[in-house]
Amino acid sequence: MKKIALAALALTLAVPGVSLAAKVKIGFINTITGAEAPIGENLTNGVTMALEDLKKKGIDVELIKEDDTGKPEKSLSAFEKLATRDNVAGVVGPYTSACANAVASQADRYKVPQVIPAAAKEEITRKGYKYVFRLNAPADVYSSVLMDAIMTVDKPKTIAYVYANTDFGISTVKTAKEYARKLGIREVADEKYLKGAPDFRSTLTKIKTLKPDLVFMVSYEVDAITLMRQSREIRLTPKAFLGAGAGFTTAQFLAQKMISNLVFSSTQWTEDVNWPGARNFYNRYKAKFGKEPSYHAACAYEAMIIMAETAAKNGGNREKTRAGLKSGQWNGIMGEVKFSDYAGYTNQNNHPMLVQQVQNGRYETVYPAKFATKNPIYPFKW
Amino acid sequence: MTRFSIFTNRRGASPLALIAFVVIVCLLFAFPSLVESPYSRHIMVLLFLSTIMGESWNIIGGYTGQYSVGHAAYFGAGAYGTMIVMNASQFDADKLLELQDLAKDSRLSSLLLSAHDLHPWTGVLVGMVAALLLSLIIGSICFRLRGPYFVLASIAVAEIVRITVLNLADLTQGAEGILISTLPPLTIGNTVITDFSNNVPFYYIGLLLVLLTIFVTWLVQNSKLGYFFQAIREDQDAAHSLGISLTFHKNAALALSAVLTSLAGSFYAIYIKFVDPTTVLSLDLSVQIVLISIIGGIGTIFGPVVGALVLVPLSEVLRSNLIGESLISSGMVNSDSAFGHFLTENLSHAHVLIYGILVVVVILFMPDGVLGFFKSMVAKKRKEAA
Amino acid sequence: MTLFLQSLISGILIGGVYALIGIGLTIIFGVMRVINFAHGDIMMVGMYMTYFLFTLFGIDPFVSVLVTIPLMFVFGAILQKLFINRILGALPQNQILLTIGLGLIMSNSMMLAFTSDYKILTTSYSSSSYRLAGLSVSKPLAISFLITVVITAALYRFLMKTDTGQAIRATAQDREAAQLMGINVKWMSILAFGIGASMAGTAGALISPTYYIFPQVGSAFTLKAFVITVLGGMGSIVGATLGGVIIGVVESMGAAYISSDWKDVVVFAIFLLVLLVKPSGLMGTSRT
Repeated sequence: MKKIALAALALTLAVPGVSLAAKVKIGFINTITGAEAPIGENLTNGVTMALEDLKKKGIDVELIKEDDTGKPEKSLSAFEKLATRDNVAGVVGPYTSACANAVASQADRYKVPQVIPAAAKEEITRKGYKYVFRLNAPADVYSSVLMDAIMTVDKPKTIAYVYANTDFGISTVKTAKEYARKLGIREVADEKYLKGAPDFRSTLTKIKTLKPDLVFMVSYEVDAITLMRQSREIRLTPKAFLGAGAGFTTAQFLAQKMISNLVFSSTQWTEDVNWPGARNFYNRYKAKFGKEPSYHAACAYEAMIIMAETAAKNGGNREKTRAGLKSGQWNGIMGEVKFSDYAGYTNQNNHPMLVQQVQNGRYETVYPAKFATKNPIYPFKW
Repeated sequence: MTRFSIFTNRRGASPLALIAFVVIVCLLFAFPSLVESPYSRHIMVLLFLSTIMGESWNIIGGYTGQYSVGHAAYFGAGAYGTMIVMNASQFDADKLLELQDLAKDSRLSSLLLSAHDLHPWTGVLVGMVAALLLSLIIGSICFRLRGPYFVLASIAVAEIVRITVLNLADLTQGAEGILISTLPPLTIGNTVITDFSNNVPFYYIGLLLVLLTIFVTWLVQNSKLGYFFQAIREDQDAAHSLGISLTFHKNAALALSAVLTSLAGSFYAIYIKFVDPTTVLSLDLSVQIVLISIIGGIGTIFGPVVGALVLVPLSEVLRSNLIGESLISSGMVNSDSAFGHFLTENLSHAHVLIYGILVVVVILFMPDGVLGFFKSMVAKKRKEAA
Repeated sequence: MTLFLQSLISGILIGGVYALIGIGLTIIFGVMRVINFAHGDIMMVGMYMTYFLFTLFGIDPFVSVLVTIPLMFVFGAILQKLFINRILGALPQNQILLTIGLGLIMSNSMMLAFTSDYKILTTSYSSSSYRLAGLSVSKPLAISFLITVVITAALYRFLMKTDTGQAIRATAQDREAAQLMGINVKWMSILAFGIGASMAGTAGALISPTYYIFPQVGSAFTLKAFVITVLGGMGSIVGATLGGVIIGVVESMGAAYISSDWKDVVVFAIFLLVLLVKPSGLMGTSRT
């Protein structure tokens, strides 16, 4: 049965114009205004591209966009509206962990399938919710994959943590510490900072005096640039700078050639990875929006494709869509996707995160070996 | 004039208004059985929440004239008190062992251990007590200051509370926030509520809290204490020379306001089942609380109700772009036309902008709030008629 | 010792920028008794101006101050004339809300116009530093500090020595008396708001090469400006300058010797302490 469905899908993909006879209503909750809006925009753009591609495949999505402004109660409003007033077949989003968390409990209550594209908080898929599916890897993988990458080239002894005092920062560093302990790497500094601070010089100077092998940073967007600029100013020179996702994986960070070179970062997605359509997505995105996509855009794109295809195949029936998400398998720009239950997670895609390093002004995938395009350069130098 | 007579208020008897009030309250009680949609109930819950916040602030801001822009601290106290106790009561054996281990050198962890033994819903009381203590501390610091200095001090204290909660992660789980998946059963009198899966219980809890705050506000307006509050608002120095203790009455007003605000926070927490410092302790929230009263009309019983009635639906309509959507779905505007595109793409980004414009317009043209504006309109009409 | 000196230097330098934000706020408050909650947003407008002058016309951020100051002055004057002027006699809470509303309008208009993307201004010196006996002194901060000193000195001279400056100060001291003395207080208010806005805009310009720009960037600085202004004494320029540097140093030292997550508590605690011990601020004359 599944084979037939797959064959049918393949056929429709091969013959444009053959319609799955589908118009399907999908809700999309995102942070369009407010402090998190800059990243939210990546998700919006990713979804816009997904809709175009779905149309080509004959799936006409009636998208209902909701802005949650990054606040859980607004996110809940959006979800209640989508579930009861708009009667959507499924929901993609919300973006932030706090919002996704709040909405997840409602997904089960209203029995509305929900695909979370990019929220990292581990708990979201650890509560056993049946209707909640997560595409991206949770927070713990952000740190472990980075340290694994370094362990292939060296045995570092000490590590310093500098991170934003946010949900993402704290939960990532928490798991990083556990993993570092396991690897026998000693912690020499633990510095939380309030997001958006303009001056990190004294914190970084303090770390410099402790001479750690690794400096592990978790920062949103542009704090990453501020941190690296000031590290260069005071010549903080560890063997490696490790950046966990977010701010270290943006095109803007890359563009700061003087400070981004040789920095390692973990990411959900890179353009040069050999997942089908990744490069093509990158090129089309850049042509359409005039800037490079972040991994959030890729996650949102794939989440929307998966949700819309599954919903369309099941005629918009929520229960069947849920079953379809649970049993389905996809292979697109995010690599192989399958929502499975493992290690306490429910409906979690065991997504392999990638480690990239900036080399000569480009992000190069350096780990895991099977996705790598270049070897890591180590140790770090200015 | 009897002070606690129901049928009179300061401005004289108005049985008609009272009848209207009773009818509306009856309708509100019947609402969940009349309207099926959970979404509209949700909007009502948000409306109640805003009203409670507005009424609570009104006591210190509207009646006593002390413009606290730090009420998020009390809201957060209620929200965190409730969530910490509730969360602690649900600890499993492993977590308890781990805590006992930690409790040796962390006082916060031992605090959590004792919270585990409390009844889960006593968190609401814990929140109220915390808000009360906080208000006394804040009052003793801030009430030495006047006017703009008081405003700034109240902001500063609220920020200290926010950062402290953010950093005391052993107790509050810091930036990660506290998440609860199921609420424990709630016993009120003889009824036990176990099923929180639809929002009907929250609707009624919210409605009762609204009535409570309105009742308290009415008491304030019509009691001796309330007169003293208002005397302080009108002229602090004159009130002082009349022998009214400024320190005592300001602190009493703040404490009352803080405890009620903490109830709003508890209500928010159990409804959303998630709290973190950004959502329940931010300056944004403090400003929002002030807005409700001022837009509606401060120093009046129903001002905050009007404020909530204006702000909540407005922000929901703007947020979800209901106007644009309905124009398009009704066929009045083609979704592919330039205007349709503008409605779906641009307007959805502009809702905070519209909100801001509304605030400016109200302040410039209705300085006494919406309620005050209509009252003076009516008064004008009457004068003309006479 | 390196840590101490390093923290001290960066604290003082960043404090220079803080001082400018504070000065702007303090002048506005001094003359109009209005707490300007849109101050950070005005600074944000200055940042965008600097950004576009740099990317479109290639004008260096530090040079662009010459353009930003007059433009922001006009912007501030218009804001005053159209909005603030109408609520000068209004209740304080209405004044606060009006400026909050104006701030929302500014930041969200910017978002509609330029999206919510972070804009980063990269100059050749954005991450370079002078080395001094084992210490590093940030080049962009050092230059901006010098500019701050020059501007503050000029402003101080203007207020102290010129007739207009004295008229502004007289208005700040006693609005009614000033009016009776034949001073056009309305005009002085416009002037004061214009100066305040241009100071905020300048601070935005000076911080641009080392920071980043987005529509909501203002709110954090608004809060900081409050602290600085109260610390120095509302209405006192010297006080705001001092307050800015003190806050810069406290933040820096707090991060070095306490921890980076508690440093803001230290800042607010000092703020409260000053309010309690000397509500008029370090340099303010007491006023009830």
